Amino acid sequence: MYGWCGRILRVDLTRGRITTEALDPGIARDWIGGRGFGIHYLRREVPPACDPLGPENKVVLATGPLTGTAAPTGARYVATTRSPLTGAITCSNSGGFFPAELKKSGWDAVIVEGSAPAPVYLWIDGERAELRPAGHFWGKTTHETDDLLRAETHAEAKTAVIGPAGERRVRFAALMNDRDRAAGRAGVGAVFGAKHLKGIAVRGEGEVALADPAAFKAANAAFRGRFKEKTRDNPPPLRLHGTAITVVGTQSHGVFPTRNFREGQFEGWEAIYGETLTRKYLVRPKACFSCPIACGRVTRIPEGPYRGEGEGPEYETVYALGSNCGVDDLAALTKANYLCNELGLDTISMGGAIACAMELFERGLLTEAETGMALRWGDGAALVELTRRTGLREGFGDLLAEGSLRLAARCGAPELAMVAKGLDFAGYDPRGEQGMGLAYATSPIGGSHMRGDPAYFELLGVPVAADPHSWEDKPPLIAKWQDVFCVIDAAGLCVFFSVRYLVEPDLMIRPVGITELLNGATGAGYTPEEVERIGERIFNAERLYILAAGFGRKDDTLPPRILKEPMPSGPAKGLVCRLEEMLGPYYRVRGWSAEGVPTREKLASLGLL
Amino acid sequence: MRVSVQAFANLKAFAPGGDGEVSLPEGATVRDLLARLAIPPGVEAVVLVNGRRAGGEQRLSAGDRLVLFPPMEGG
Repeated sequence: MYGWCGRILRVDLTRGRITTEALDPGIARDWIGGRGFGIHYLRREVPPACDPLGPENKVVLATGPLTGTAAPTGARYVATTRSPLTGAITCSNSGGFFPAELKKSGWDAVIVEGSAPAPVYLWIDGERAELRPAGHFWGKTTHETDDLLRAETHAEAKTAVIGPAGERRVRFAALMNDRDRAAGRAGVGAVFGAKHLKGIAVRGEGEVALADPAAFKAANAAFRGRFKEKTRDNPPPLRLHGTAITVVGTQSHGVFPTRNFREGQFEGWEAIYGETLTRKYLVRPKACFSCPIACGRVTRIPEGPYRGEGEGPEYETVYALGSNCGVDDLAALTKANYLCNELGLDTISMGGAIACAMELFERGLLTEAETGMALRWGDGAALVELTRRTGLREGFGDLLAEGSLRLAARCGAPELAMVAKGLDFAGYDPRGEQGMGLAYATSPIGGSHMRGDPAYFELLGVPVAADPHSWEDKPPLIAKWQDVFCVIDAAGLCVFFSVRYLVEPDLMIRPVGITELLNGATGAGYTPEEVERIGERIFNAERLYILAAGFGRKDDTLPPRILKEPMPSGPAKGLVCRLEEMLGPYYRVRGWSAEGVPTREKLASLGLL
Repeated sequence: MRVSVQAFANLKAFAPGGDGEVSLPEGATVRDLLARLAIPPGVEAVVLVNGRRAGGEQRLSAGDRLVLFPPMEGG
């Protein structure tokens, strides 16, 4: 096969057995890879009613046909599993260098199943793979583990590992690759921990074989040329200042979540946004494999109590650990970010849990006797300490480790968790960004912005702009963007490049450039229409899985704060999210029933019957 | 009339100095402001007036607060 390696590595941790499977060419064509392979195998092999932390659950780590190629941003993989935070799926996505290395080792995907009797790690050295004891790594941070794994395998190996948080099954523990990149959302790290799998080290020296190298090269050169031309007069803001520059877009529109989504503008935004990060702490930008943008941030806090080095913070972290907790101390939130990376925690859900706890404390629903410290908005020192305690499940951190929804429910106020399907929102308040509300409510993983991100057209002017306050026009747009994001995540590409340079510049984005690259790599001869249909297939398959896990229309919702409490101030003042008005039309656009269930006709048209 | 302008990332180079205010004739539009700031046609800008996205033909009023940033690849 071309583009695809044609081989899948299956790792049975219970029996300590590793087997190789051929990738069925029909499955490859129908699902592309990455997120598509993830849901395909999950539906086939993991009962939707399984205990996410039990041996029945599996993790599918899948690259796409463009991962490890010279395609711009061909750096990514997807970890799909049943989430211990939400009970829905997660299909958490990460870049860096590990995914490309996995592909170059000759594997399209690794399926991890069962549970090891004692801690192990997986060493993939090209075609050979083995499980090795990891008892001596247990308890180590992600950075320590990366060092030790490479010392024990190969200095140039790339790793994906869990930290103490994953070992302790913190429900939003991340799987960290290349030290500081995260398959972060909804608890992949906890599933690894429950399986006693400390991590994976991989070494691959092969090249991805291309079906039509000349055509691939020409397409690649054209897209990179387009990027170069555009950025000559328009240097990428993400390269200049990292994703934290996005604060400008959310703050100015009044949708920058502040103090657990009570407000949409943060008075301390200038202290924590991207340009301030650049000025105070940036060491250098850092690119993932084959990426021309380089949005990653290598940073250093040179002095003070939070002195240290690491990567980040990203926009989502600046929101979650910053404005959403009322924290304008950039050093403290950067330190908390470093701790999240080292302990292996999702920064978004960490911030969501702490913000929720701060509001519960303010309302007297949590007391100092329970928390061990005062929880006050804006307290950077508390933020850092709570992050540490959560990663280690120490004291009150043991409750935070259960996530915001379980914490709020325990205090009798589940409505104070800012979540959809139990997953904490990203950094966009849906009251001033109507499409985002629909995206959160209908995302298969819950409150994520990365399952069809309307912030691009509602806030950031990419590829063209739409009104963030209108809702009538959003249902078809959200469905379309969700499907195209499935394609991006299946191909092994990064959204950041794809939505500007690999689609037609229209609100109803079409994956024309992605199709061209896929064809050059795989020789599949896809049409853009077929690729769009695959995106729709993936999204519907994910929907079927979460429906079987017990989710339905009742769960396609948002907290009362977002639906009923008007935004108190700023450009979105007076607005609530008009989710109910959008949901019916959205279901109709999708070919789903009034209960949010795909019709037989829709499933038949997608080959899902 | 005077309006205030904040600009970010590469557009900072075109921002007004001092207190960030610009004087414009009555009836001036967003396009007039961009010309005053000497932002070249090839340089892309998202323009917000009082927190709402504005096109080039939108007329400005005294005291308007403008935010200019380049289209962004995401967050």
